[in-house]
Amino acid sequence: MTDRSHILRPVALLAGVAFLVLLPFLVRDQYQLHLAQLIGVYWILIAGLNLVVGYSGQLSVGHVGLLAVGAYAFAILTGRYDVSPVLALGASGALGGLCGLVLGLPSLRLPGFYFAMVTLAFAVIINEQSVAQTELTGGGVGLPAQGFSAPFASPQGFYWLVLGISALVTWLTWNVAHKMWGRAIIAVRDSEVAARSVGISVYRAKLIVFVFSGVTAGIAGALFASLQTYITPDTFVFELGLFFFTCIIIGGRGSILGPFIGTVVLTALPEVVAPLAKLGNFFYGLLLLIVVLLIPEGFGRLLTQAMTRLKPQAAESKVVAPDPARLKAALGTRAGNG
Amino acid sequence: MLTVIVYGLAIGAIYAATALVYNVMYSTSKVLSVTTGHIPMLGGVFGAYFIAGLGLPILVGLAGAIAVGVLFNLLTEIVAVRRVLARSDEHLWLLSTLAVATMISQVMALWWGTEPKPFPRLIPQEFAQGIGDQKYWLPVLAAAVCAGSLELFYRRTMYGKLFIATSEDAFAARARGINTDRVRALSYMLSGALGGLAGFAAGQLTFAFFALGFALTLNGFIAIAVGGLGSNLGAVIGGLALGMMSSFATYLFGGEYQQTVAIGILILVLVIKPEGLFGSKQVRPV
Repeated sequence: MTDRSHILRPVALLAGVAFLVLLPFLVRDQYQLHLAQLIGVYWILIAGLNLVVGYSGQLSVGHVGLLAVGAYAFAILTGRYDVSPVLALGASGALGGLCGLVLGLPSLRLPGFYFAMVTLAFAVIINEQSVAQTELTGGGVGLPAQGFSAPFASPQGFYWLVLGISALVTWLTWNVAHKMWGRAIIAVRDSEVAARSVGISVYRAKLIVFVFSGVTAGIAGALFASLQTYITPDTFVFELGLFFFTCIIIGGRGSILGPFIGTVVLTALPEVVAPLAKLGNFFYGLLLLIVVLLIPEGFGRLLTQAMTRLKPQAAESKVVAPDPARLKAALGTRAGNG
Repeated sequence: MLTVIVYGLAIGAIYAATALVYNVMYSTSKVLSVTTGHIPMLGGVFGAYFIAGLGLPILVGLAGAIAVGVLFNLLTEIVAVRRVLARSDEHLWLLSTLAVATMISQVMALWWGTEPKPFPRLIPQEFAQGIGDQKYWLPVLAAAVCAGSLELFYRRTMYGKLFIATSEDAFAARARGINTDRVRALSYMLSGALGGLAGFAAGQLTFAFFALGFALTLNGFIAIAVGGLGSNLGAVIGGLALGMMSSFATYLFGGEYQQTVAIGILILVLVIKPEGLFGSKQVRPV
């Protein structure tokens, strides 16, 4: 039984990777490819945010602010200073990480609701300043953003770039989540007092994970700007932050596959089912409420439960019964000694 | 200059009233609801709808706005708080109230429209009254009524004492025969009424606008975090201080910096004195 799952898992992984790599040849039109690119860009942010929300339990609703920082940094660097897009991508990631550090230093000391409010406030400040600093960001009019050069210029090339980065980020988060670090931040999520008592530096663990999510948010912002080709403050509204957050909660906290499926479904669903697009946030709010009230562990948990139920259980029967021969021998030696 | 002060006072009064709503809900349920700012928003929107839209008398409109606040908050309690509190998971209420807040915000945006709409004049008065205008003094009056009646309610009535007992120690209160579930539901209804009244009174200043909900949730929270969670005096002083600060920030630096200054204050206070100016330090015994 275990042998089969050992073979199945790499096969499933390989098939999934092959599907994602070949996706540009499978889609019917450019729009579907654009959707796939958008999902990839969102996923880069959500994968990092997942470590913060899903694993360390810090409910940040303000990552849209970090996304905006990355996007504006990319648009300004490439558009005004003619920095090469790849370099600007790295710079956006670094700036996102720096902003994450500045935001995290005071706010991660605060308890749950306070932290959520400070991250929300951060997103509000970034939005307000992106309107106010007209000479830097173009104000309400916005800024055009450059595309990538030669190998990534075509839609397919850009898709593979996004795919490569998101695969790298996913691999990094998987490593963090499944090694000692991940155990530490899960402990922080489940009980801070218990985590502290076994020697975990709670604040440092939270801060490092938060800065990492800032870097991924910055990179995602740069790719987002390049994908949209034009950015305005209206793009980076609070609702987008809520959307990222909802993807993770619906997918399930403490899992990577769950939020990924959540991202894919929530990004694609309003595009495919038109009435849902009109309802927009109402739909996300309703989904969030249903998940919180009925399945707080998220849909990902339901999936794993269904999988374990579907797996053929080894009919391992352990009969608890006396073994007459050994019993007799044991009793015999005791009797002999006595 | 005087206008800046009066405007700050009026805005601060709305923040203070929202902070009081936070406090009343927090005291009995230990939940800081994301829906808090949406209650005054509903009060303003439905006040405008009843009076300007349906042409009802002003007093009926006021009663209607308060009723909407009460109903909405009772619904919040039933849907998003009661079931979640039964579970032990700490921050689920944050998610459930956030979900409800998002839904009501979107519903109002679809039904009422995304543009701010004017609120009708409540007292016959010439426009261009300067600082004597009712739009500045009605919110201050409403906040004073809220704070004063809460204080009387807590000190002088039996139910007020039940609220205090529940907020101090819910287990002990239940052991003395208080139905804490009913007290919690009543406290949500009470805070819904306060929020509806404040939103109705502030309607002329803020306009009937759906996006007011999240803005007040944030600013009311800043007021309460600065003033100290659980303290009504702190809520009022925090709200007024915040209103003054953002009014002066607008006057000195321009409107773009209003939120930035407010949030700067929040972060400063949280770093220096995390329990707020009038809050009591809570040390969890381990």
